[in-house]
Amino acid sequence: MVKKNNSTQTLSVLHKWKKNKKITEIFKYTYLYIMFLPILIVSIIFNYIPMAGVRFAFYEYTPFSQPKFIGFDNFKTLLTSKKFISAFSNTITLSFANLLLATLVSIIFALLMNELYNRFAKSFVQTIIYLPHFISWVVTASIFYMLLSPNNGFVNQILGMFGIDPIYFMADEKWWTPIFYFINRWRETGWGTIIYLAALSSINPELYEASSLDSATRLQQTWYVTLPGIMNTIIIVFILNLAKVFNLFESVFVLMNPMVVNSAEVIQTYTYKIGLQQSDYGYATAVGLFKSVISMVLVVLANNISKKIKGEGIL
Amino acid sequence: MQDKLSFKKEFRNRTIFRIANYIFLGLVMISMVIPILKIVSDSLDSSATYGMSIIPKHLTFSAYKVIFTSESLYRPFLVSIYTTVVGTAIGLALTTLGAYVLIQDKMPGRKFFVWMVFFTMIFNGGLVPTYLVIKNIGLLNTLWSVILPLSLNVFNMILMKSFFQQIPESLFESAEIDGCSPMAIFIKIVLPLSKPAIASIGLFFAVEYWNHFFNFIMYITDSTKFNFQIKLRELVLDSTGLAAATSTSQTVSTSAIQNASIVVAMLPFLIIYPFCQKYFVTGITMGAVKE
Amino acid sequence: MKGSFLKKLCLILTVVVSTSNLIACAPKNFSTEKGTATTTTPTASSKPEKITGMFDTILKVEDGQAKVVEEFKKQTGIDLVITNPIHNQYYEKLNLAFASGDIPDVVEMGGTTYSAYANNGALYDMTSLVEKSATIQKLSTVTMDSEKIGGKLYGVPKASGNGTVTYLRKDWLDLNNLEVPKTYEEYINVLKVFADDPDKNGKKDTFGTSAAGLFSDDPTTTPDIYLREFYQDAYPDFKLVNNTWVDGITQPEMKPALERLRKAYSMGLFDKEIITNKTTNVRDKFYSGKVGAMSYWAGTWSTTLEDELKKAVPTASIVAIPAIKETNYTSRVPSVYAITSKAKNPEGIFKYLLEYMHDAGKGELLFSRGVENVHYKVTDGKATMLTVKSTYFFDPTLTISQFKDPAIIDPRISKSTKIFEADSQMAKLLPASAAYTKTGVDLIQSRKEIISKVVIGQMTVDEGLEKYKKDNQVIVDAILNEFNVAK
Repeated sequence: MVKKNNSTQTLSVLHKWKKNKKITEIFKYTYLYIMFLPILIVSIIFNYIPMAGVRFAFYEYTPFSQPKFIGFDNFKTLLTSKKFISAFSNTITLSFANLLLATLVSIIFALLMNELYNRFAKSFVQTIIYLPHFISWVVTASIFYMLLSPNNGFVNQILGMFGIDPIYFMADEKWWTPIFYFINRWRETGWGTIIYLAALSSINPELYEASSLDSATRLQQTWYVTLPGIMNTIIIVFILNLAKVFNLFESVFVLMNPMVVNSAEVIQTYTYKIGLQQSDYGYATAVGLFKSVISMVLVVLANNISKKIKGEGIL
Repeated sequence: MQDKLSFKKEFRNRTIFRIANYIFLGLVMISMVIPILKIVSDSLDSSATYGMSIIPKHLTFSAYKVIFTSESLYRPFLVSIYTTVVGTAIGLALTTLGAYVLIQDKMPGRKFFVWMVFFTMIFNGGLVPTYLVIKNIGLLNTLWSVILPLSLNVFNMILMKSFFQQIPESLFESAEIDGCSPMAIFIKIVLPLSKPAIASIGLFFAVEYWNHFFNFIMYITDSTKFNFQIKLRELVLDSTGLAAATSTSQTVSTSAIQNASIVVAMLPFLIIYPFCQKYFVTGITMGAVKE
Repeated sequence: MKGSFLKKLCLILTVVVSTSNLIACAPKNFSTEKGTATTTTPTASSKPEKITGMFDTILKVEDGQAKVVEEFKKQTGIDLVITNPIHNQYYEKLNLAFASGDIPDVVEMGGTTYSAYANNGALYDMTSLVEKSATIQKLSTVTMDSEKIGGKLYGVPKASGNGTVTYLRKDWLDLNNLEVPKTYEEYINVLKVFADDPDKNGKKDTFGTSAAGLFSDDPTTTPDIYLREFYQDAYPDFKLVNNTWVDGITQPEMKPALERLRKAYSMGLFDKEIITNKTTNVRDKFYSGKVGAMSYWAGTWSTTLEDELKKAVPTASIVAIPAIKETNYTSRVPSVYAITSKAKNPEGIFKYLLEYMHDAGKGELLFSRGVENVHYKVTDGKATMLTVKSTYFFDPTLTISQFKDPAIIDPRISKSTKIFEADSQMAKLLPASAAYTKTGVDLIQSRKEIISKVVIGQMTVDEGLEKYKKDNQVIVDAILNEFNVAK
């Protein structure tokens, strides 16, 4: 008797709870939508409304006249221009190699810095290492041009001690590219470690304690605890940087010179030069659209691969 | 972990590694510091500084004096501080709110929001349409044309989202059962547990705003609203800008002023970073789960 | 999974497309007429109340720009509204302004941008106004003629374009008992001495000469301005020969010119980094006392170069030399102040601003020296500048009218200007050409690359010229066709 009453009571309680749950859900979701509202507004105003301008990729749009619809002509010009294709291939080479190096080197440095147990030392190293990021590219370029100068630059002075003739590094195509990577690492490694250091600090210290109880060496701990612990961050940063691969501009612009143009010209530097002469916004938009589509493909691909392997991606 | 350096057999490898680590990082640091020392030295030198020496030939602080007294230089500095502080605050607000909403798996439309925000990172309407929009909403020639567009940074939002995703589900569930609203959960649980993320992403925003010059060039015509980075570029890239800066002092060499400006542009972050670093402390998230 | 991705993409694209339809009238400020003003009846031009202008190298706000504007209003009653973008981004801003419909009344522009805009109808054709204007007719004919595009004038030049003159270290000449060189051979000898411990300090740490690249791609100057002694009669760009446009690179004079450059480089007379130098590098090297000869702007720069040099080497001095026998200096085509075709009152603007600026009297004084007691003080009819070097609207030492500059000028300025002008020839504007606009960038890049590689010794002169012909024949022919029709 009592049992039956209990069950109907329970049912009605459950029933009420489910109704309440639905209401609380609606309340919760509306709340969340409202929290997201400012982002929506900024996004629509500053990103989506201007995005209507993407259609100008199919127009000829100079400062002198009404935009004129020309279909795919801009893209045809792009894809048949030998210089553009060479710029495209340089962009891929320089940017991808840069990205891979950046990821590798920053992670290694983050791990090495994490091994400094003296709080002061760690803090000091972190601050010094990230300083070069604050030197603008223009200044960085002039620093390295001076260091590598064939007129008694620092490097050539050292080579001179070994009896080697001065080398004009920056004017030599086969030296320029590796130096480009080196300068990028010099400037950006410290900055790149920031996000990984933040990720490292959120690894549960109990995992380290447990593994040391199993007498794991530090190297094993790095491989089995640390790296998996920050793997998510690594993947996400990598994918996000993939989206920016085609935006490579300033570092190339300040470091390039007429001798190395063939391996140094990238999409952004090339369109910048053309833009100064031509000022055809239709063409510029077409280049932008072209880059965007390819970036989109890259990121979605990388995201899907990461989802398959790790179960998580950015989207 | 052991803190002592010891050559006893079981600690030997570890010790060797740690010494090698110190040496390696030390060398790297030297390579980073030397060019900076050269810049600092050049800023304190009153004669031309072509060459490799890192010690000033004629020591003088007048370049810095010029910067801090010349209105054409300290006013942009103040503009930079303003845009950086306001921008970072707004940017962090949008980033954290956005990331928080985007981790709610059960919310209908979540995927749509993710894509909507992500799409803006890849596709861009171009210079002229953005200019027209800013002009039509009346933000032309205001600092908001710089602050607002930069405040929505999808890169940072997705990073923040990934940090939030590491917060254990159980915390959210227990808070909901206690009847907390999403905002309350956000403020009381999510934010305090994300200090390393907020510190690093806050730093990213600050640097982005501090170094930014493009929007100033495009949208702002009133030169009293220019920031320090623009002035710096003028000094370093273009000789005519030097005249105004050096007009007050005939004895200061142009290169000293250029280098001093570079140092001044770097200084805030030299000072701020040690403060941020205290948030990168291990185990901040971990205490909360032990219930 | 895939399905929802496509759905999301479609949704977003629909949103974008529909918003784009809503904003379909975005560039509303475009008018449909091409503004080539033709018949403007020369009635009494009404005084405009306001003139908007976009200017490049003018007085900065912190140097008292507002005072000049105030004084202009006092003198003429007109509001001059100035937009002064950052110099390095000037042309980007200019293009943006036009494309977005924010077109000012007056713009400063030069070089190929000026030709392109004029040819596309964005500028007001002021040929008839110029012909009727007594004031403008008094300006230097050579300068005015250099601005003609297809026989018509679209702007009034600011001032003389100036050009580069070669400066030598006088103290080194004296120390080594050298005379100012008058021929190429003498010049090379001087450079040899300059490169080989001229200051007798026991160190070989000097350069004979240096420059910012072997080929300058600054669009407002000619490419050979820094190395006139070596190029001589060769010209690394398009030029007129017997009234026909040709490509100077493929002309017979170019081969010996490249040989001269090559030989000089291999003899060590050049700064090895001449190929990758930027102007700031070269100036820094010069200021530190390491460069013996440098071609740089005549006039006001002569004082800056010497003063900065003296800070590092107090006993140093420089002298501007007349052009050696085999060559001459080049006066570049100056920037102009043009009236845009959208301007509402071109005749008024012409009369009250452009003529006023060049009236060789009060107006010109205001725009070239500034405001009395703010920028200069007058004592006994002579003006002493109160602010140190700062460009006003245009440099009064480069005036093209009969303006008598009341300011006391450093004698070095007029000295170098005189030496320059005695040997200078006016450059020519390239005709406007759609082919050049499209492929000019690639061509200039190729020229820079080949000249650099030949001079540094990576290619022989013949190989370089071969490669140039192979890579660029098609482009060059297309451009020359258009040039020779357009003139």
